[in-house]
Amino acid sequence: MLDYMRETLELMQENLTRTILTLIGLVVGVAAIISIQVAAAGMAAAVNGAFRGININTFFLFPKSTQGSTQRANLGLSDLTLLERNVPGVETAIPFGQTRTIVSAGHQHVMLKFGGESYRRFSTAPVVAGHAISRTDVEQATPVCVLSSKAFSRLFPHAADPSTVLGQSVYVGPKRYVIVGVLGPATLSTASLGFDINNDVVIPYTTFYNDYQRGRPLFGIQVLGSRDATLATLEANSKRVLSQAHGGSIYQTFDFGFFTKQIDGFFGVVGTIVSAVGAISLLVAGIGIMNILFVSVSERTREIGIRRAIGASRATILIQFFVEAFVLAFSGSLVGMLAGLGIGELAQQLFIARISGTIAALPWMHAILLATLFATVVTLVFGTLPALRAASVDPIEALRYE
Amino acid sequence: MNDIAIDLQQIFKTYKSGSIEVQALRGVTLRIERGEYVAIMGPSGSGKSTLMNVIGCLDRPTSGNYHLDGIDLSALDDRALAKIRLEKLGFIFQGFNLLPRTDALKNVSLPLFYAKVSPRERRERARAALAEVGLADRGHHKPSELSGGQQQRVAIARALINNPAVLLADEPTGNLDSTTSEEILALFESLHRAGRTIVVVTHDEEVAERADRVVRLRDGLVLSDTPTARGHFSGGSIVPQEATPQS
Repeated sequence: MLDYMRETLELMQENLTRTILTLIGLVVGVAAIISIQVAAAGMAAAVNGAFRGININTFFLFPKSTQGSTQRANLGLSDLTLLERNVPGVETAIPFGQTRTIVSAGHQHVMLKFGGESYRRFSTAPVVAGHAISRTDVEQATPVCVLSSKAFSRLFPHAADPSTVLGQSVYVGPKRYVIVGVLGPATLSTASLGFDINNDVVIPYTTFYNDYQRGRPLFGIQVLGSRDATLATLEANSKRVLSQAHGGSIYQTFDFGFFTKQIDGFFGVVGTIVSAVGAISLLVAGIGIMNILFVSVSERTREIGIRRAIGASRATILIQFFVEAFVLAFSGSLVGMLAGLGIGELAQQLFIARISGTIAALPWMHAILLATLFATVVTLVFGTLPALRAASVDPIEALRYE
Repeated sequence: MNDIAIDLQQIFKTYKSGSIEVQALRGVTLRIERGEYVAIMGPSGSGKSTLMNVIGCLDRPTSGNYHLDGIDLSALDDRALAKIRLEKLGFIFQGFNLLPRTDALKNVSLPLFYAKVSPRERRERARAALAEVGLADRGHHKPSELSGGQQQRVAIARALINNPAVLLADEPTGNLDSTTSEEILALFESLHRAGRTIVVVTHDEEVAERADRVVRLRDGLVLSDTPTARGHFSGGSIVPQEATPQS
């Protein structure tokens, strides 16, 4: 077996150009399929990672804008307590509110995302100085704020340490908020998904309501479910409870499952296209290999005759040509695999890592299995005919053959 | 053990070429004992190549019995015949028929590869066989780097490596000049003295004379089967065969 392999490798070297041309199709096919898989795995990791900045069990609830009476559907503060009390699994519900506004500290005036937060935190970014919004802050609607790491660095570019800014104030228009805490960087933000619910500056949601939302119906409600609650159930129950309280009004919910589904869908389509391209190149590759094997059979008719005369049976010749087909197919697959992993890795470095900051580990085992599988399939499908022809060579004819 | 290396009984071989039937062998009966050195002669079309192929198990007779080293070959399938070729026969061809890209050592050890001998033993035995034909220092030369005579000696080493019952040579000197031919024939003689059974197919009287016995074919039949002067001289054990002409 090893002898056959060595011999095939020598043959491939002798006909290097022909070998390369033959194997290009296989390389391209395998590379395409493997690289898209690496990229998809990386993207999946990025999407999962994107939720690390925010508690995953979060959803948003809005009155549906097209319904009989939008008036009747309007949400108010009482709906927050309604959800917290009547929907099991709801940890906290706060008015959805986020604005982009100029926040000032000293001479720094920075456009930042500004919103409310509860003492049960939606954000999962760690507190690096001071403390988060406390229950008392929420209950008493105190004028305090917590800065994200981005807000801290933008508002206090010269501050050495987050703890030095505790007790200082930031201004939003005429309103002043005392800094009680600074957060570290969220591992990732949902910004890469087109919608960042992580705010740069947060104040107690009650304060936010008093200062900016009072006298108007709530735009929406942001709900935090307990860790063990199922989002779908929570959303359904919340809609039902609110609908009952508002005379049958209709509400819609929104969570990050939407994003994952969209991305999955996108990669599904891309994957299908690439797989189709891959499949076609594999077909072309297989025919190429079949061709080179046929050429090899006719070029080596005499050699086959010698081998038969010396004592090789038909079966032995058959095996030899199968081994040859496999060595060809496997070397092509192997190069394709390495190229595919390389391209996938490059795609991760250039695009995915930029968005998410993460790189998925390369699926080596998977790739090797896939390459071997391709090689085997190509060998069996396209190696059989040439091998059969080689085995059927008549040794007498072959020895006479010049 | 059998004293008879090759025993052919009423061998017929008919080729069909379209609607025309060609009778290449028309009832050849031939017995060759162990240790004999036999030349098969005949003009082209006499059936000597066909006979050679039948003896070499490359072709099956249409009818007739063939025993090689006591084994009845008529019932054997391809795999079994390949095994017979591997174990019982050593081929030497006019065109040497070495694998062109493979060095001498590997060419010689090829039969052992099919016999599933370990690589180490293959190498050692091939080295010994090359030394026997006087090419100990040419092991790593490819056929293209060897002279015709050297190539033929490599082929002989290859034919001998499995210690075959019969050494079968088809015009072994046909591609060689007279000096080299002489070398090869001398080698055959020393193999013969060592007890090898050798069958040479040739149209060259000078080559045939070196054998103990000459079998002449014509039109698919044995025309004559006679010991050569040398055969008489050396007192080789010959069972003269009556020619059995069929009309």
